[in-house]
Amino acid sequence: MSLVKRPTASAEWFLPGILAGMWFTLRKMVFNIFHQSKMETLNYPEQKYEYGPRFKGNHVLTVKKDGSIRCTACMLCATNCPAQCIKITAAESTDPTVEKYPIAYEIDVLRCVFCGFCEEACPVDAIRMGPEWQTAALNGSKFTYDIQQLAYRPQLKGGIVSVLDDHERHGAGI
Amino acid sequence: MPKIKINGNEVEVPQGSTIIQAFKATGVEICHYCWHPGLSVAGVCRLCMVQIEGMPKLQIACNTEVKEGMVINNTSDVVKETVRWGLDFHLINHPLDCPICDQAGECGLQDQYMKFGQYDPEMAENKVKKHKVVDLGPTVVLDSERCILCSRCVRFTDEVSKTNELGIFNRGDRCEIGTVAGKPLANNYSLNTVDICPVGALTSKDFRFRQRVWYLKEADSICPGCSTGCNVKVNYNEEGLWRIRPRENKEVNGHWMCDVGRDSYKFVNLKNRLVAGKVGQRGSWQEVTATDAARSAGLKLRETVAQHGPDSVALVVTGQYTNEEYHRLFTFFTVNLESNNIFHWMNNPETTKDFDGLLFRGDRNPNTKGVVDALGSFALKAKWEDLQSQLSSRKIKVVVVAGPENQAVFPDMTEKITFFAQAESMIWLTAGQSEALNQTGAETWQIPLKTYIEKSGSFTNVQGKVQTFKVGTTIVAQAFTLSEVVELFSGQELNWNLRPHSLGGVKTNYSIANRGAL
Ligand code: SF4
Ligand code: SF4
Ligand code: SF4
Ligand code: SF4
Ligand code: FES
Repeated sequence: MSLVKRPTASAEWFLPGILAGMWFTLRKMVFNIFHQSKMETLNYPEQKYEYGPRFKGNHVLTVKKDGSIRCTACMLCATNCPAQCIKITAAESTDPTVEKYPIAYEIDVLRCVFCGFCEEACPVDAIRMGPEWQTAALNGSKFTYDIQQLAYRPQLKGGIVSVLDDHERHGAGI
Repeated sequence: MPKIKINGNEVEVPQGSTIIQAFKATGVEICHYCWHPGLSVAGVCRLCMVQIEGMPKLQIACNTEVKEGMVINNTSDVVKETVRWGLDFHLINHPLDCPICDQAGECGLQDQYMKFGQYDPEMAENKVKKHKVVDLGPTVVLDSERCILCSRCVRFTDEVSKTNELGIFNRGDRCEIGTVAGKPLANNYSLNTVDICPVGALTSKDFRFRQRVWYLKEADSICPGCSTGCNVKVNYNEEGLWRIRPRENKEVNGHWMCDVGRDSYKFVNLKNRLVAGKVGQRGSWQEVTATDAARSAGLKLRETVAQHGPDSVALVVTGQYTNEEYHRLFTFFTVNLESNNIFHWMNNPETTKDFDGLLFRGDRNPNTKGVVDALGSFALKAKWEDLQSQLSSRKIKVVVVAGPENQAVFPDMTEKITFFAQAESMIWLTAGQSEALNQTGAETWQIPLKTYIEKSGSFTNVQGKVQTFKVGTTIVAQAFTLSEVVELFSGQELNWNLRPHSLGGVKTNYSIANRGAL
C-alpha cells in the first residue's frame, strides 16, 4: 500500500512559507555579521572544536615514566578488537623487569570502528582513545598508525604517561 | 575389576588403579596439577580432592587406590570449597602476570580460577618476590614466581630423561626450581618440561612471545624428525607452523617427544619453501606454475623412454615420503615406464642404527622402513653403485629425485646434487629450496612438493607400525604430493576441484595491497 498525499488548498499557498524562511536566514546573517563572537558555527579549519578527554578519537599509546612504551604486547586489545585492525609483534626485552614488549604495534585506522574495546581490554592502561578526531590524510599508507605515531606524535608533546607503574606496584607488594 | 561409583555412576576400573586414573578413564573432570600420567605420584598440589563415602576427611585422588564398592564424588560443596581454598593458597605468591605470560590461554591455574575462582583474595601480606626470566639452558626459561612447585619438571628429569638437572632449592615459600650451578638444563628432552608445566613457569625460548596460543589452530600429525614417528600435534595459523608438541601414544612415544623433533616445523614454513615450478640450469631459472613444470617434465621423461629405452631414466627416493606416494611412484616407474632403475638415497648409513634409549634415533627419516618395504614389494634390487656407474657412463639421461623435505638432516645434499647432475636432465621434486641446484649444468625441473602437514598418508616407523595422518593446513598452494606429480607425469589431469590452482592460491585484497599508491 502506498500513501499519496494529495495537494491540499493550503499547500498551494507556499509563498508565505518561503518568505518566512528567507526572513529568518536574513535576520540571522545580519545578526552574525555584527555579533561574530556569538556565532553558533565554527570557521573550520581555521577554528577547531575541542572534544572532552573521554571522547573516543584517535588512539594513544601511553608511555612509562622513562618515556618507553607502556604496552606489554599481551594482545588482549588485538583479541578484543571487533574490526581486527590491531597488529602487534612482540619481542623479548633486554630488561628482565619488562620481559615482553611490542617491537611493532600497528592500527589500521581505516578499519577501526572507534568502539573503544581496545582501551577497555588493556590491563595496564597502555592504550587510550584521545580527543583528537581529525584523521584526514592524502596518502592511503598514512592510515596505518605505528608506534611512532601512536605514542610520540607531536600533538602528544612527548607522550602521555600511563597511570599504572610497575615499580610502584612492586613497591606496594603486589 | 572393582566396581566403584563416581558421582553417582557405576563404573568398573582395573585393579590397582588410582582414583584419578578411574576419573580419567571414565572421562569425568577432575582438577589436578602435580599428577601426570607419565610420571610418578607426588601428591603435593592437593587439588585433586575427592569425597569418599565412609571416610571422615577428603582424600587426594591421585594417591588413593580404588577399592571394591567405593562411592566417590568430586562435585559436593565441601569438595568445591576445599579446591577453592587450595587454589587461593596457590595464588598467594603468584604474580598473575598473565598478560605477559606465554601460558595464558592454556594455563591450569587460569582454568581452575575461572571454575573455582576466589575472586577476592584474602591475603594481606606482600607477595614473596622470586627470580624472573631465569635462563635454565639453551631451550627453557624459568619464571620462579609463577611456579606452583608441583615438581612435575623435577620428576621428569629424574624419571624420564634421567638427567637430573632440575631440583627444588630453599624451603617454605622461598622454594624455587633451579639447576645446580654449571649444569644447565640441556638434554634432548628438555622441552617436555615446558609442556608438562601446568603454569607458565617454564617457557620455550623458541616459542616464547611469538604467538598467543588462542590464535593458533591444532592438527594431529606424525613427527617426521626420525624413524621413531612420535605422535604430535602441530599448532599453526595462516602464517604457517609455530610449534609441535607431543600427543599421547603409549605404543610409540608415551607422552613425550624430543627437542630435535620440535624443530621439524621450520622447514615447512613459507620462507624455506619452493613455492612454484622452476625450469632451467646453472641458476638461470624460468618460473612456471608447478603444473606446467610437472607436465613438461613428464613429457621429457616419456620422450626419453621412447627414444633411449627404459634404462635411460632413473628414480632416486629418500625415506621422507608416505607409503601411498611410494606405491604410486614405483607403479608408474615399473609399469608405465617399465624401468627398474629405482634407488634409495640413504643420508646416514653409519648412524641409522643409533638409538638414545628413549625416543630419538639416528635414522632421521620418518619412513625408511616404508621405502625399504615398498622397494621389496616391487622386487627392486638396484644398488647405489649401479647408479654411480650408469651415471658416469652417461647411460642415464634423466634422473628423477624425490629429495628430502627436511634438508637439514641430509648433510650430503650439495655433494649428491652435483652427483645427480651428471645426467643430462634432472627432475628435482622437493619441498624446500636448494642452493646447490644453482651450480649444476643439468637441465633441471624443480617441482614443489607438499610437506607432511599438508598431505594425508602413512609412515611406517622403525617398529613396523603404520601410522596414518591427515592434512592439517596448506602452506604452499601450488605444491603437489608425489602421487599428484605422477598423475601429471603420466599425462593425466588432476581433479582441480579439490585443490587451489591459481598462482599463489591466495586472493589478493586489492584495497589493502594498493594502499599508499594513491
Ligand atoms: S577502537 Fe575498536 S575497532 Fe578500533 S582498534 Fe580499538 S577495538 Fe579495534
Ligand atoms: S595495548 Fe594493552 S591490551 Fe594491547 S597489547 Fe598493549 S598492553 Fe596488551
Ligand atoms: S602461569 Fe597461568 S595464571 Fe600464571 S601468569 Fe601464566 S597464564 Fe597467568
Ligand atoms: S616449574 Fe612448572 S612443572 Fe616445575 S615445579 Fe614449577 S610449576 Fe611445576
Ligand atoms: S594431583 Fe593429586 S595432589 Fe596434585
